[in-house]
Amino acid sequence: MGGQACVLYGAAQFSKDIDFFLLADEENYAQLQKALDELQAHRIAVPKFDPDVLARGHAVHFRCRAEGVAGLRVDILTRLRDLSSFATLWDRRTTIDDGDGVLYEVLSVPDLVLAKKTQREKDWPMISALVENHYHKLGDEETSARIEFWLLETRITQRLTELAVRFPVQTAALVSRRPLLQLAAAENLDGLRTALDAEVRAEQARDRAYWEPLKIELEQFRREERGQ
Amino acid sequence: MLYDELPDEWKEWVDLDPLERFRQSELLFAQYLAMGGSLDPDPDPTCPFYDPEASGSGPAYGRSGLRVVRRGPV
Repeated sequence: MGGQACVLYGAAQFSKDIDFFLLADEENYAQLQKALDELQAHRIAVPKFDPDVLARGHAVHFRCRAEGVAGLRVDILTRLRDLSSFATLWDRRTTIDDGDGVLYEVLSVPDLVLAKKTQREKDWPMISALVENHYHKLGDEETSARIEFWLLETRITQRLTELAVRFPVQTAALVSRRPLLQLAAAENLDGLRTALDAEVRAEQARDRAYWEPLKIELEQFRREERGQ
Repeated sequence: MLYDELPDEWKEWVDLDPLERFRQSELLFAQYLAMGGSLDPDPDPTCPFYDPEASGSGPAYGRSGLRVVRRGPV
């Protein structure tokens, strides 16, 4: 997931770290520990590795020392705001085969878009690119699920108005879930730009509210580690 | 930005298959490291993990890193 997934989907050119979303169970944690040992990964920030802490939505951050990956940061998460259970995400994942027997299991584009709806400004252009690339590749192979995804997640005004004209029935059906589709259908570009911006601010506010108790907890962890 | 409005270089990037992009990304990453690029997260106060007191590990592979030595007037 994260930046490396955005690379695979064409929305970024490289990422300085790797984020892994894991199934939280004991056997998997044992496998994770083996992998971390192989990478000579050590924790670089709070919180400490603890399944209960991960289950509350925290990420655990590591830096690798092994030859070939020295300095590389690895983040581990087992829960993401508003995303489905691991089993559901796994069912929807994209698998990429490198031809040498290595498989890359990646969050689906719609799930990655949800994961990127954060308070960080830098994530929002990434969402635009992920959805636009998806439409560019699959726009001629529309399915009801894809049309719904494009209408609910497109963030480019011209594309959204084009979609609303192309799929008027689906647009009307989704207005209750995304009211700004009315502006897209009316080709009101100025109104649509304002509404898209408001949509970002509202989502960022939701993410900040989600993180508020976790940030308090992170600060507590930092104080404990600094012996205060 | 609409795909049609992307610079040609980005269109080529988007049109690669995922594995080709991954391999090209590895080359870019290696180039970034060779130039002394840091693997520390960019300071981002909007990130919930941001810790202003945390110190980074410095540039990758012991290089001196990059710094701005000249700027234009604007």
